[in-house]
Amino acid sequence: MLFGKYINKYYLKYAIFFIIGIAALILVDVAQIYVPQYLGKIVDILSNVKEAPLNADQQNQILYMIIATIVIALIMMLGRFLWRITIFHASFKIEANLRKEMFLKAERLSQRYYHTNSVGTVMAWFTNDIETIQEFFGWGTIMLVDAGFLAILVIVEMFILEPILSLVAIIPILLIALWGALVEKFMSKRWEYRQTSFDNLYDFSQETFTGISVIKAFVKENQQLKAFAKLARRDKDVNVDFARVSVLFDSLINAIIAIILAIIMGVGGYFVYAYVTNNPVVLFGHQVTLKPGQLITYAGYFDLLIWPMMAMGHIIAMRSRAKTSLKRITRFLDEEEEIKDVIGSEDLKDVKGKITFNHFSFIYPGSNNKTIDDISLEIKEGETIGIVGRIGSGKTTLVNSLLRLYNLEENSLLIDDKDIMKCSISSIRKAIAYVPQDNFLFSDTIENNISFSKENLDVDLIKQGAIFSDIDKDISDFKQGYETVSGERGVTLSGGQKQRISIARAYVKKAPIMILDDSVSAVDVKTEETILKNIAEQRKGKTTIVVASRISTVSHLDKIVVLDNGKLEAFGSHQELLKISPTYSRMVYLQKLEEEVEGGN
Amino acid sequence: MAEDFDKLIGDKKIPHKIMWKRMFTYVKPEMGWLILAFLLILVNIAIDISLPLFLSKLTDNLQSANISLKVILMIAIGYCLLGVIGQVFVYLESMILQRAGQKIVYNLRMEVFEHIENMSQDQFNQMPVGSLVTRAVSYTSSLSELFTTILVNLIKNILMIIGTYGIMFFISWKLSLSMLPFVAIVAVVSFFFRRIIHKIFTEERKNISDLNTFLNENLSGMKIIQIFNQETRKEKEFDKKNEKLRKTRYKVLVAFGIYRPLISFIYFLAIAVTFSFAFKSLVSAGVIVAFYVYLSRFFNPIQNIADQLNGIQKAVTASERLFNLLDVPPKVLDKDDAIEINEIKGKIEFKDVWFSYKPDEWILKGVSFTIEPKQTCAFVGATGAGKTTILSLIVRNYEIQKGQILIDGVDIRNIKIKSLRKAIGQMLQDVFLFSGTIKDNITLHDDSYSLQEIKETCEYVNADKFIDKLDKKYDDVVIERGENFSQGQRQLLSFARTVLHKPQLLILDEATANIDTETESLIQESLEKMKNIGTMLIVAHRLSTIQKADQIIVLQHGEVIERGNHQQLLKNHGYYYKLYKLQFEER
Repeated sequence: MLFGKYINKYYLKYAIFFIIGIAALILVDVAQIYVPQYLGKIVDILSNVKEAPLNADQQNQILYMIIATIVIALIMMLGRFLWRITIFHASFKIEANLRKEMFLKAERLSQRYYHTNSVGTVMAWFTNDIETIQEFFGWGTIMLVDAGFLAILVIVEMFILEPILSLVAIIPILLIALWGALVEKFMSKRWEYRQTSFDNLYDFSQETFTGISVIKAFVKENQQLKAFAKLARRDKDVNVDFARVSVLFDSLINAIIAIILAIIMGVGGYFVYAYVTNNPVVLFGHQVTLKPGQLITYAGYFDLLIWPMMAMGHIIAMRSRAKTSLKRITRFLDEEEEIKDVIGSEDLKDVKGKITFNHFSFIYPGSNNKTIDDISLEIKEGETIGIVGRIGSGKTTLVNSLLRLYNLEENSLLIDDKDIMKCSISSIRKAIAYVPQDNFLFSDTIENNISFSKENLDVDLIKQGAIFSDIDKDISDFKQGYETVSGERGVTLSGGQKQRISIARAYVKKAPIMILDDSVSAVDVKTEETILKNIAEQRKGKTTIVVASRISTVSHLDKIVVLDNGKLEAFGSHQELLKISPTYSRMVYLQKLEEEVEGGN
Repeated sequence: MAEDFDKLIGDKKIPHKIMWKRMFTYVKPEMGWLILAFLLILVNIAIDISLPLFLSKLTDNLQSANISLKVILMIAIGYCLLGVIGQVFVYLESMILQRAGQKIVYNLRMEVFEHIENMSQDQFNQMPVGSLVTRAVSYTSSLSELFTTILVNLIKNILMIIGTYGIMFFISWKLSLSMLPFVAIVAVVSFFFRRIIHKIFTEERKNISDLNTFLNENLSGMKIIQIFNQETRKEKEFDKKNEKLRKTRYKVLVAFGIYRPLISFIYFLAIAVTFSFAFKSLVSAGVIVAFYVYLSRFFNPIQNIADQLNGIQKAVTASERLFNLLDVPPKVLDKDDAIEINEIKGKIEFKDVWFSYKPDEWILKGVSFTIEPKQTCAFVGATGAGKTTILSLIVRNYEIQKGQILIDGVDIRNIKIKSLRKAIGQMLQDVFLFSGTIKDNITLHDDSYSLQEIKETCEYVNADKFIDKLDKKYDDVVIERGENFSQGQRQLLSFARTVLHKPQLLILDEATANIDTETESLIQESLEKMKNIGTMLIVAHRLSTIQKADQIIVLQHGEVIERGNHQQLLKNHGYYYKLYKLQFEER
């Protein structure tokens, strides 16, 4: 059994399945004990009659046993069906529940978490670790109950049948169980070697193929092949070695089992011989009375005992794997949720779109430098604002703060004069339509991608959004139009197309505030102009913030924020900035040059 | 994950007959061992089948009138010996198969790895690295497993079934004939089960891959989900997939939940029938005991055959993908009469070179220029002008469509690729470092260089300064892709790597990233020295590099628009002048 704060509740929740399953397992175990008994009895009946026909009583006995065997077969079939259906059902339920709990957690974790933990790492918890836990809940429970109960039951029966013989047979087989556990430990190490050698081979190939340009440049193909050969040979050797040990252990255990059975046959046979020849063996004051059929029953019991002994080692290994996995998952579920509503937060309602930065500073957690340093400015309701500055000047941090992706100082950032730290996060994000820098789309239809903010959005509105971002024509050119699936399984969209779909996705929110974070960098100048024109027309009266790396993107906007190294260098219109902001003037100059260079002679 | 890698160019069906023939060619060298293993299997099955006879004989002796202690002990000892010997044979058989299998994997891996290595650059660009790795490492073992595990077990099981039935028939033909209906039922049930389970397994795999794709995507796009307040919607989508997977798992469960108990039910019915033969005392007690043991040995293999048949299918599919990859020929190949070059002077000529990666999207449009031996030539131009392409064409990473590229007057298509590349030292923009030590990254695992040589080279290119500061110096560890070193340090390492390999001509694609001033001056100094090695072609991003070049070739949209040295070009007040202002003034 495995316990932990995130799984204990499931024992209770699915208690009924576990109870029925365990009951069925025990029922099956009890039932199968009978069959070797019948076999023994039939042998004894046959040995008593010695070639003469059976009398009526004996016939009735056998008939009873035949019917009983059929009944047992039925019970076992139903029991086996039942424990599979119940216990595995519970284990799959637990798996699904746990996975869902993890997904909900994943949704509540901050962006910082995702910056420090790669998606690959988190995915491994979602796949491998959960599966390991499920396996233990399913097979682990079954093996534990089945093997444990069957072993006890059979050992008791064996002792009742013949205690002396049992001493000879059971001690070695208990040792096998113990040994199995040890072997499992020993093997798990070798298993790891094998895994490592495979990983090495994998990593080496991956690196070679990724760095193939270097390999080719230095004509190192042969050498690389030799190095690969070395690893492949090592993998071969490790595999053979692993096989040798595991096959050896298997063969040894099977040989020992054969020896024990031979001992049962020899010693048991001797006891029977002594009994039948009316000279029963007396040991420790106990007279051994073993009939031929009983010896057969005994051998049948021994046969039943083999698998529980073998299972012990597996259970131990399985449990330790599941424990490690559970630890990882618990750590994930325990992760602190950094970004959450403060107590008593209120919804932001009827947002007008006024944004105030009030001595706003921001330091990334764990960093010493201020990414944003004391910025104060006010964006009036309905204004269209540009933000420019060099790479790393704090543009993205500024707009991400608005989205409440971080925890901010109180009263340093206000929307409609309300401190956003005191507003509910969902209401803030509802008020903002955002176009990110990395135009991330889901592998879904274009239509669904655009209507991401709201399910079943009006088709006209979706089209309107596409027209707004000047992607409508591109979409119509696709064979499946708005039904075209983006991503791996569908059409590969260009960076510019993705950006424009992201813009449409934000536009259809019709939010009082819209933010474009360097979102037209991959579209051509003409398209950019169209989009800017659309912003001017369609977002009239609504606040819009455009972060840009090109001056041309922002020069016609109401006002422009110029950031330099986290500080506000200037805030004003294009004309004003040309006079007061050196960074801005320089950017304008460089852009002019660039236009000439790109445009040709 | 493997599912994602299954899409590769050139994946096509290969007819079954050809598949098996091709697969068999890899197994052929180990045929002797496989035959030996097969013989051992026959022995093992014979032993396995004969063991229950001992118990049967024991039973008969115990309840007969002439019970004999000697016979009893003989039986016990015989059982013990045969049982132990049998295990020795099992060990031998398994090891022979393992060795043979691993040898097949090894040879196959070598072939596939070599094939992949020799693919040309653009073929690499078209195939995800992950799928290549899976083919080289995993699919190769699938093929071997097919022959050394799956087929072997299948044959074993079939022989076991036949052998067990044979001996049951020998013991009591009447009783074994009465088992036939059960055999028929089990066979039919197993047949249908296999079909059903194959379908459900496929469904399960698909659902797992669906769920994982979903998770992967949504974990990557979590920012968007949170910003758009779509957590609840995504939760619902997740729920659907999560439940769908659980339900398919449930289907698997029910299928096995019916199949396995049903087979065990039939097994017990067969035992009941065996008992019924005692009823009329048609057979001896020994026979009943023997049947009791044989029946379980008879029913188990039948259940396993279903799994093995599914295994064959999977292994064949994996091999098919492997062969598809092996069937893709490398695009850039040596001509039959290609020559080796040893000594080169270093004159490089481009004569009306046209090149495109995709049809009709010309990257170079009739580029012509000449670089004299020992000259340093800088290529400048806006992004996408074709500078880097020119360098990759000189080393024949791609074939040009029109025109000629000549080195010392010889068309490079007439030179053996390896000999060409050996002569040219390439320093690429993204310096790729392998995991390993600093030393490994400089020698590229070539042990023929002494540490002294390596140190001298590093001194020559100014890389010694930072290496000497490292804890373990030349044995310091480079983590994957060299992320523990700065751009500048990597550049220096790539210089060392190149110079050590004694090139006669150098090409350099300068890093665009910012490099600290100290490292920058080391790089510049080292570049000056390297100019003595021979002709040097540089895609230049730094002013000082360009200023010192003997010749500057200015490219725009795949055409050479200006040529000359720095001063001449500046005087022209043309394109170069503007470019210079844009890229270097006051930055």
